[in-house]
Amino acid sequence: MFERFTQEARRVVVGAQGEARELRAEKIEPVHLLLALTEDDGRGGAALRACGVDHESARSAVARAGSPLDADALAAFGIDLEQVRAAAEAAFGPGALEQSRPEPGGHIPFADGSKRALEESLRAVLRRGRRRGGAIDSGHVLLGVLAVADPLVQRVLADLGVAPGSLEGQLGDSSAA
Amino acid sequence: MAGPTTDVTTAAAADDPAVGLRAIRALRELADRLEVLQVGNARGRGWSWQQIAEALGVTRQAVHKKHARSRKDD
Repeated sequence: MFERFTQEARRVVVGAQGEARELRAEKIEPVHLLLALTEDDGRGGAALRACGVDHESARSAVARAGSPLDADALAAFGIDLEQVRAAAEAAFGPGALEQSRPEPGGHIPFADGSKRALEESLRAVLRRGRRRGGAIDSGHVLLGVLAVADPLVQRVLADLGVAPGSLEGQLGDSSAA
Repeated sequence: MAGPTTDVTTAAAADDPAVGLRAIRALRELADRLEVLQVGNARGRGWSWQQIAEALGVTRQAVHKKHARSRKDD
């Protein structure tokens, strides 16, 4: 299906692989597509930036929302995970605690949620007719990511104070979702 | 139900194994991640595996086996 993707949309997909690798993820999840979209030069990235979402803030939000570190259990030892995280990020950069997991080797497959997001991006094009020649651009990829309602993506957006509807509004697709 | 301000000794000396073991696991995971960051930083500053091993109180072989594979400089 990638033959229908514009160059920028393909770059987002490739970027999502890079995000998954850097975050030591076993699969490319919708949240990795979201992170890649923050660095996109097209409509998708523009919509995110218009809502105040940049790569660094999104990375930090992912670290807060997606960590398997057990903050409650650590609190029982008197350890404030957020303080530890803030110190680690101050010294070693955003997402430092997440990137310090062992590195997965080789090919990283798409998670089911990402496959569905890419299918939904195609649907977003079809919904809007042929105005853009039927090509899937980064805006459609963002709509696809929003359409699958991935729990982690939702937590990250909520953390950043962004309503999915306002992103869809930026893309002129308030009929979605 | 323990609140967020649970006393430190609650976990350290919990007589419910489920609580105590979960806390130990969380502590170990955090320590492992911080170790990766610190070892990476030390290597970046030119520390030898021997120096890192001594600082961590483990053998050079142990620290090399655990960390060398995930770093590209070895």
